[in-house]
Amino acid sequence: MIEEKKEISNLSNNNSNEIEDNSKASNTNSLSLKNSTNNEPIIQVKNLTVQYDDRVIIDNISFDIMRGEIFMIVGGSGCGKSTVLRQIIGLEIPIEGEILINGEDICKATGKDKVHILNKFGVLFQSSGLFASMTLAENIALKLETSTNLTNSQILELINIKLTSVGLAGYESFLPSEISGGMKKRAALARAMALDPPILCFDEPSSGLDPVTAATMDELIKELNSALGTTMVVVSHDLDGVINTAQRVIMLDKDAKGIIAEGAPKELKEMKENKKVYDFFNRIPTSI
Amino acid sequence: MKDTNNIEPFEIIKKDNELTLKPLIPINVYYGDYYFEDIEKLDFENYSNIIVDLADVTEFDSFLIVFYNKLNKTAEGKNVKINYINASEEQNNLVNVLSKEQKEEKPNKQKKPFFYNYLENIGLKVKTMFSDMYVFIEFTGNLMIALFKFPFKIKELRIKDFAYYFNNAGVNAVPIVILIVFLLGLITGYQGALLLKQFGADRFIADLVGIVIARELGPLMTAILVAGRSGSAYAAEIGTMKVSEEIDALKTMGMDLYQFLIIPRVLAVTIAIPFITILADFAGIVGGLVAAMTALDMTFTGYSNELNRALNYSHLFSGLFKSIIFGFLVSSVGCFRGLQASGGAESVGRFTTAAVVTGVLLIILSDAVFTFLFQVLGI
Ligand SMILES: Nc1ncnc2c1ncn2[C@@H]1O[C@H](COP(=O)(O)OP(=O)(O)O)[C@@H](O)[C@H]1O
Ligand SMILES: [Mg+2]
Repeated sequence: MIEEKKEISNLSNNNSNEIEDNSKASNTNSLSLKNSTNNEPIIQVKNLTVQYDDRVIIDNISFDIMRGEIFMIVGGSGCGKSTVLRQIIGLEIPIEGEILINGEDICKATGKDKVHILNKFGVLFQSSGLFASMTLAENIALKLETSTNLTNSQILELINIKLTSVGLAGYESFLPSEISGGMKKRAALARAMALDPPILCFDEPSSGLDPVTAATMDELIKELNSALGTTMVVVSHDLDGVINTAQRVIMLDKDAKGIIAEGAPKELKEMKENKKVYDFFNRIPTSI
Repeated sequence: MKDTNNIEPFEIIKKDNELTLKPLIPINVYYGDYYFEDIEKLDFENYSNIIVDLADVTEFDSFLIVFYNKLNKTAEGKNVKINYINASEEQNNLVNVLSKEQKEEKPNKQKKPFFYNYLENIGLKVKTMFSDMYVFIEFTGNLMIALFKFPFKIKELRIKDFAYYFNNAGVNAVPIVILIVFLLGLITGYQGALLLKQFGADRFIADLVGIVIARELGPLMTAILVAGRSGSAYAAEIGTMKVSEEIDALKTMGMDLYQFLIIPRVLAVTIAIPFITILADFAGIVGGLVAAMTALDMTFTGYSNELNRALNYSHLFSGLFKSIIFGFLVSSVGCFRGLQASGGAESVGRFTTAAVVTGVLLIILSDAVFTFLFQVLGI
């Protein structure tokens, strides 16, 4: 019966191939919360090396991100946090190494396979990346319209649900330029969640926000993580946020060009044997 | 999952006045809409109790709430009760988190009826037109003051900027301007030749082309091209600076916007444009010559003698004078529109378009004024 309907929609929808693809893939794409155990990696980064021109930014790092955890990448400015995140979400291809998302290599995937992997991600960019010429509702609808066969009223209802979940109900017809920075971040989060991806990535979710708004953002991340089981990958240099939210942290360093510490935030805070880590987590300024 | 062929979305069990629905396929954004048609077909009014058994739903996402809402709405007013049973903890969590009440106040941005919007838009457009005019006059005033002060501050002129803009707006515009005005001369020549031939007034083609190009087409086309090339570029550059807070940075550093940003651009265009126009005039006249030689079998000497007789300095200089005014208008409108941008990239695009449209409009308007004035003054 479903196949029949699909054929009908095939006639009317050029995108339907992709849509069918997605629905087959929905097995892994929608929240299968039953599997949300913490001991199975959802993202595996293996021997990743990144360089711009001749400058090596990240030298041979490996780490796993477990399903359903809040994982944070921390470190000083310019140490390559955003760079690593951009590799994970497939925006850039690394010089060396592989990045497996649910066992599939995002670096090698192309075309439909890549779209299929990308549909597992929602990404919230540092400057939110909302489309300025579209209302919030249109921003969220974009992905729903292109990847599903839902009717307009169903999409509107979903938009309302997403905006309510980030505390922005009623802002459907606002343009990004008409709302504040914190609201933009939340709207971008609502957009990232449009397809209920199993992984949400954040680049500096609290940058440019006041401490209270920043803390609200962190709470939202925690709440969505515990309620939906979404894996959260967060790049941050906001210490309070890291300590209150993260379940596991890796710390990158500019000089080491790699990971200098890994563990729970509380462990790293007590890591007296590594001065850099200790200083970072205890906010001790380094001499210039 | 794979063999969803022929599987109904629900397993439906009817028993007396109780209807049990067991969803079988995923309730997510990809499959959820298959439920909708079936829900509409259900005869809720014949039952007093409806049980939705969610035990078999292992795959779901926020569409679950849309699904709940649909069932509840269908049951509305039908005197039935819906019971959801066997919902997993995860499902309840999802529903709780996503349908929580919003603490913050909702904004009240009401939708207005269409005709109201329409009227309001007309009103806004007219208002913007007048306020734009007002601000532009203010801008021109400020620019004039800055220009009068300029000779005393000439040392502050960033000569590198000026040279850059002069090169970009002037030198780089020459090839395209020459090509276009040459073709215009040629076209005017051919069209004129057809007419003049009928009256045996062949030699007047030089008068026609010479005067039309020198007085009107040369300056006009040059200015329109400069509006398209440089006016738009200035609006985009300054607009981008405006939205990325560079203009604000300049202001807080105590820099004079006019001196720093606008005068180099306006001066560069205003000084360059008469030179381009001279080249354009020349190209147009050569175009006319080609037309005269091919369509009317005129000789080069015949054409140039006639041109010499017909064209005097007042034709040439009135054209050049106009071109200077056009250049000033086009470049200052470009800067002005750039400064009006605010918000984001989209607004820069809008004002770049506005720069060209306003620029061309002002060129034509002032040309009409000049034509009238020159007539009265007998130039
Ligand atoms: N596209 C690029 N080209 C060249 N260098 C880059 C590029 N993007 C980032 N870098 C360099 O990589 C380093 C890490 O940048 P980034 O990942 O943005 O740091 P952060 O940890 O602050 O997010 C920086 O030194 C930056 O200059
Ligand atoms: Mg960064």
